[in-house]
Amino acid sequence: MKNKLFEKYFVFSPYFWLVLFFFIPLAIIFKISISVSEWGMPPYQDIFLFDNGFKINTTFENYVYIFSDYYYIGSFVNSLILALISTFFCLLIGFPLAFYIATSNIRLRNILLVLVVIPFWSSFLLRVYAWKIILQNNGILNVILLNLGIISEPLQLLYNQYAVIMGIVYTYLPLMILPLYGYLNKFDLNLIEASKDLGLNRIKTFFKVILPLSVPGIVAGSLLVFIPVVGEFIIPEMLGGSDRLYYGKILWEEFFVNRNWPGASALAFSGIIILVLPIVIFQILYSRWSQKNEI
Amino acid sequence: MDNNFLVIENISKSFGDNKVLENINLNISKSEFFGLLGSSGSGKTTLLRILGGFEKPDTGRIILDGIDITNLEPFDRPLNYMFQSYALFPHLNVFNNLAFGIKENFTQKEIEINVRNIAELLSIEHLLNRRIKQLSGGEQQRVALGRCLIKKPKLLLLDEPLAALDKKLRSKTQLELTTLQKKLKITFVFVTHDQEEAMSLSDRMAIMKNGLILECSSPEEIYENPKSLYTANFIGIANIIEIYKKDENFYSDDLGINFKLNKELKNTKTNILLRPEKIKIQSINNLKTSLFNSFSGEILEKSYLGSFTRYEIKIKNMIISVLDQNFNSNSNYNFPKGEKVICTWESESIKALED
Repeated sequence: MKNKLFEKYFVFSPYFWLVLFFFIPLAIIFKISISVSEWGMPPYQDIFLFDNGFKINTTFENYVYIFSDYYYIGSFVNSLILALISTFFCLLIGFPLAFYIATSNIRLRNILLVLVVIPFWSSFLLRVYAWKIILQNNGILNVILLNLGIISEPLQLLYNQYAVIMGIVYTYLPLMILPLYGYLNKFDLNLIEASKDLGLNRIKTFFKVILPLSVPGIVAGSLLVFIPVVGEFIIPEMLGGSDRLYYGKILWEEFFVNRNWPGASALAFSGIIILVLPIVIFQILYSRWSQKNEI
Repeated sequence: MDNNFLVIENISKSFGDNKVLENINLNISKSEFFGLLGSSGSGKTTLLRILGGFEKPDTGRIILDGIDITNLEPFDRPLNYMFQSYALFPHLNVFNNLAFGIKENFTQKEIEINVRNIAELLSIEHLLNRRIKQLSGGEQQRVALGRCLIKKPKLLLLDEPLAALDKKLRSKTQLELTTLQKKLKITFVFVTHDQEEAMSLSDRMAIMKNGLILECSSPEEIYENPKSLYTANFIGIANIIEIYKKDENFYSDDLGINFKLNKELKNTKTNILLRPEKIKIQSINNLKTSLFNSFSGEILEKSYLGSFTRYEIKIKNMIISVLDQNFNSNSNYNFPKGEKVICTWESESIKALED
């Protein structure tokens, strides 16, 4: 009897987790997002009023506000584009690396895996800050290029969207490599040889055999990079310039600078729904597809 | 017959310090079913992979139908390789697995016709829409074979083609494979560690050990007249007896008997092979031991194998294996354990081993 109870608890524990750390916070954010703002602490009114009998005090003005101003939508679109580009580059760099690691001999493989993980041992902030030192006008890169005579005056490498993309690709690359490695590790190398034997050259073999069979790893790695990058705040803040506004930054400002909690909550809630809903639908369709194709 | 259809010339290969192949030379004829037999680590699979183009040899060259293919990539070689694991593509169904190698150069209609033909040849027409995981081992083997044959290769390489099948299916598939090969007249080179498989499939076979080819001949020749001690032991059951010249004849200390050979030996001391089925076993009452080529011993072990009974007969310091065919269902023909028997053999049955 006890065992069964434990089993039940065990099976449902991911759902407890989901409820505790996703649905409850989401509900709180939603509650704030439909509250009326006011100056005070907290900076919004209660949604249930009991002054003169029971009254529900809600508004959807915050949503109307953020969806009517391109400032908010634009920043979200910017973040989506940034996440897409970063995910693409992570995949472009991460896939060959993961494949190489997965197919190399066990000793080299372990060394390479440690090298992939090592950056996690140091502070994330420090690592991003290090790029500032490398890329700034009198930074290492500019000094080297100047001394080599390749450039005559320092390049403006920092404070633009390229620096942001680079910083994100650098930071999130392990999150792409590790799930890909985990999947490619099980890849039957005979399949590649069989494809070549049947007359397909390397490029065709890649597209007809390696790529279709790597889809689950690619999906896992891409989601792991894409989702957090949409809300990424620190890297655009440190490496980015004023040329582009991103969702994370707007959210931060709305909360902490403007102290518009309902507006910020509406922004956060909309962002989550816009991001999570398609991904959930995609995951359902994808798992059906992969079951059908037995990948 | 064109003996130079496939020429393997001075092929050597090392992995690091490990010499896997040493100076391999082989000539294989067109339409031949050729077996490479050896235990694991003999280099047989490496040789097959070199033929397939998956490994580059350190030295030597390979000529197929007059063309040097040593430096060609696998996808440029007019041959195909059937993997031991079959290496079927799990993301494609049977039809697309079969069509995989011909999709490039054929129209949709031609692909369709070719796949149907090959599926019919291998009796897998009903499986075309199946996924690979839905197939049994035997069905997978056919798909793997079909995927290669559809390309009409000049040479088909097979890595342990029957190893993944259960015993009953294996003997059935063995027969089918030889029939198919004779029908298509494609040159087959296959690798196996199973001597029975090698014997039943091969027109000729090569025995490999430690990266060397010890012998290369027909299965009959290798079984009946092996040159080396290793081959004699590796193929079938072997009684190996050391004999040396004594007066006019040869004598074995282990058995304490004289041997009469029908030809002279090069060395004064040598190992001879006496296959267990060449030894005739008789009741001691029937006759006396003669001076040569016979001994009397005691039956130590006996195992009834259906068509044969295998006896282990102890004589002096040695145990000799004897296979006695069960001609008659009369149990009187079987000798009980502990019985004294007389064994005799013909002089021609004694084969001297070179080393």
